[in-house]
Amino acid sequence: MAHTATQTQVHHETHAHEHHGPQGILKYIWSTDHKMIALQYLFTGMFMGLIGAYFSYVFRMQMAFPGMSVPGFGQVSPGEYNALVTNHGTIMIFWVAMPVLIAAFGNFCIPLMIGADDMVFPRINRLSYQVFLLSAIVLIISFFVPGGGFGGAWTAYPPLSAVAEYNQTNLGSSLWVLAVALEFVAFLLGGINFITTLMNSRAPGMKAYDIPMVCWMIVIASILFMLSVGPLIAGAVMLFMDQTIGTGFFDPARGGDPVLWQHLFWFFGHPEVYVVLLPAVGITIDIIATFARKKLFGYKLMLYTTVATGVLSFFVWAHHQFVAGIDPRMANVFTITTLLISVPIAELVFVIIATLYGGSITLTTPMLWALAFIAEFLIGGVTGIFLGASGADIYFHDTYFVLAHFHYTFFPIAIIGTFAAFTYWFPKMFGKMMNDTLGKIHFWGTIIPFNVIFIPLFVLGMGGEHRRIYNYEHFPELAGDGMFLLRQIATVALIVMLAFQVVFFYNCFVSWRKGAKAPKNPWKANTLEWTTESPPPHGNWPEGLPNVYRGPYEYAHPDRKEDYWPQNEPS
Amino acid sequence: MAFPKPQATLRSATGIPTGRLAVWWLLASEVVIFGGVLGSYLMHRLGHPEWANAAAHTNTWIGAFNTFVLLTSSFTAVLAHQAAEKGDGKKAAGFLVLTIGGALTFLMVKSYEWTVEILEGFTIQANGFWSFYYTAAGLHALHVIAGAIIMGIVAADAYRGRELQRVELIGIYWHFVDVVWIFLFPLLYIAK
Amino acid sequence: MAEQHDDTHHGSGHTPSAHDAHHVNYKKIYLTLLGLLVVSVVGPFFGIVWVTLITAFGIAIVKANLVIQNFMHLKWERRIAKWFLATSLVLMALFVGGVSVDVLNHEGNNWENVAAQAAVERGIPLEPGEEAEEVEETEAEPVEAAAFNAPQMFGLVCGSCHGAAGDGTGAAGAALNPKPANFTDPAFWAEQNLHPQFPVRDRARIVQVIANGGASVGKSPLMVGWNASFTPEQIEQLADYVMSFRPAQ
Repeated sequence: MAHTATQTQVHHETHAHEHHGPQGILKYIWSTDHKMIALQYLFTGMFMGLIGAYFSYVFRMQMAFPGMSVPGFGQVSPGEYNALVTNHGTIMIFWVAMPVLIAAFGNFCIPLMIGADDMVFPRINRLSYQVFLLSAIVLIISFFVPGGGFGGAWTAYPPLSAVAEYNQTNLGSSLWVLAVALEFVAFLLGGINFITTLMNSRAPGMKAYDIPMVCWMIVIASILFMLSVGPLIAGAVMLFMDQTIGTGFFDPARGGDPVLWQHLFWFFGHPEVYVVLLPAVGITIDIIATFARKKLFGYKLMLYTTVATGVLSFFVWAHHQFVAGIDPRMANVFTITTLLISVPIAELVFVIIATLYGGSITLTTPMLWALAFIAEFLIGGVTGIFLGASGADIYFHDTYFVLAHFHYTFFPIAIIGTFAAFTYWFPKMFGKMMNDTLGKIHFWGTIIPFNVIFIPLFVLGMGGEHRRIYNYEHFPELAGDGMFLLRQIATVALIVMLAFQVVFFYNCFVSWRKGAKAPKNPWKANTLEWTTESPPPHGNWPEGLPNVYRGPYEYAHPDRKEDYWPQNEPS
Repeated sequence: MAFPKPQATLRSATGIPTGRLAVWWLLASEVVIFGGVLGSYLMHRLGHPEWANAAAHTNTWIGAFNTFVLLTSSFTAVLAHQAAEKGDGKKAAGFLVLTIGGALTFLMVKSYEWTVEILEGFTIQANGFWSFYYTAAGLHALHVIAGAIIMGIVAADAYRGRELQRVELIGIYWHFVDVVWIFLFPLLYIAK
Repeated sequence: MAEQHDDTHHGSGHTPSAHDAHHVNYKKIYLTLLGLLVVSVVGPFFGIVWVTLITAFGIAIVKANLVIQNFMHLKWERRIAKWFLATSLVLMALFVGGVSVDVLNHEGNNWENVAAQAAVERGIPLEPGEEAEEVEETEAEPVEAAAFNAPQMFGLVCGSCHGAAGDGTGAAGAALNPKPANFTDPAFWAEQNLHPQFPVRDRARIVQVIANGGASVGKSPLMVGWNASFTPEQIEQLADYVMSFRPAQ
């Protein structure tokens, strides 16, 4: 029963009828192995992240030094500015946060952590990536068509987004809608895979409460996505038709209603932020348990709290529309629900802190990222309370206060969460250990500049700085030297932060080439993925899928000599 | 060469076979998609009583006939399932082919219906009612087409005695398509 | 132990469905469905609104339920599946309920949707007995019939840079370099030798710049081309309007 594990996951099983994955270069295109698909999502998402980061560099330069030619781009015209801002947001949410946190780490971790040999529908898994890749290509094409990329903000409110005369990006706006719709289809396909796999394909002996939190979180996030995206798919179809064939779904003169679009968008848009939040929280929890060597403070509490958050997330959507002309009575209701939802999130933070308390903490790079997630997300969450109160929101809406709030939530989710997961599972994915010193340099070089970017933006927002403005020199009250100085500080900090990402890529490359070979379980963790080779071969456990005897967080058990207790050990 | 399934596919911690569980989740997501379209239509329709003037021009008899066709095709689909359960792949395939026939009939009738309506000037841009009419029924028709194609593949496999469990699964999807039409029919044709 | 993959499944890899033991008479259900269909078609002929609503939608719910429980076998399915399917329906009710306040209603607490109210006014439902044919035209105009209003479009699209009065003082143009053209300045119209094909500011050049942008005549790309947004005829009308700013000689 000889098998060879290689980094490239080509399987060498010698059983007579075992299927061979595609060989050679084709395995990168046609493989149905969940680990390969995970890497495809990961690299595509990271590549799109570079594009989104480049856009943010360009428009921040324009805001800090208006009218100047931006090095590496040229002079920014108003239309281009709108397209940059729109597509930065769109890319980061749909083409970075979702593919990396859910599709990449979900695909990689879920089958391994539940003791399965693959996802339940490997070919649909492959199809979901192909549709996703197509959606990314369509979006990128939209930047190069006549008129350029869509510039109506990632929220795409009609009539601006529906009427070409207004948005001036006739082709770009339709391609944008098409790309987003394709991305939704890809994640619906993927979601079915994740949910069904977790529900059905667990190892014998793995009861519901023995599932690692990150798996629960990714699946609950998938459920939230699948149940909330429908109305927006309906809306996207309607918007596409308004754009291309002249229907009037959102044209008031013809019986349509632009506010309907807003509701369709935000009914999905709010659960969507929890769709990306939950996986990041799950990753954080698993890393903290491993590096605090301590059992989770309240597994069931955390699980039920998360479900409650997910349910509540469907009841808060109109807080994005407080000043859009909705009925003020709705504003009352949505203020209450929005403030309520901060309670379960706060509870999650308390449980995580309680887990840390009394633990034997090792500050490895993944642990630093996990701790940073808590600290930064806390700021984001607390500032959300100001915005959830409809009265305060009358002032804050569409200012940079909102923008700083959601970057203090999205950045921890999409960037800190990604780096936490990446540095934690890199040894398992690539079979090499990452350089911890470089990892720490990258960590501090990201976190400190991140705060220097966005704290000034809170100040600017409170000072009245509107969002989505091409040139603040046009607004005398926002064109003061003090305000421009803050903009420039933020922009310089962004450039510093982007520069430090070079350390990350260098670390990846050097570790992959010359890093120490990773053992099966370098972190001495309990979950099942650490019981097989690094990286796992095709089929994950060729010598037989594991059975499970206990939960995933049995660290520092008093009856044991070792301070960890893998799930698959009989005793 | 048939694709070898991972062991993950064959496990069932919930007691529901994996394929069927997946179809239920697919349907849950489809409910919210059609719910979004139909909910939007419903709100507009209730708020715009003048749309009744447009709705008066839909052809209730054609709608009723198509409802009859889809109900019958659901009947043949469930008979296919019954045959598959007994292991009779050829009979199941035969019933599935009848179901596909129902789908094609539905589509042909709808093509004729829409052609007539478009020639009379009731285009998708004519007004809000017609925009929703074509969008909702069109989205439904796309699902009919997709279902018919997949059903053809399942029927071909079933005829050779393979993957018989999929007859039930495509059947469940097909019944859902029928249920959507059961609601579209009164919404678009009867409520005038 | 490594398990053998069975390449040719005969449907035996799954647990048998629980309903094997239940005998569902599919034919009876089907005939019931057909009967209900007949009732729902006949219902409107009574002309009573409540009867129509019950026979149309009430029966739809009954028919759907019959199909879901018996044909889809949801009656015998595990509870978890029923739960998440029910959840999707509940969420749709939540969506419609939460959004109706803004979309179904056309006025509320301190707001009203004037455009929607006007649309309703224009096409008031006819009294019972009146013919319905002519009413199509009183519905909102179809897109093609709306006339292109060049001055209005100029104000909407061009004025932000060129100013509503065509004098180059639009707010968005303030920080541009070079500044947007001032069509009221005689010096603008008097310039010569501007470009090999378009040497003077005549109508042909104005059309060219609107359609293809300033760069197409060697000027700043900040003036974009509009041929993707307007038809040639519309551009001609816009050019006429721009020419109208020219001071009398």
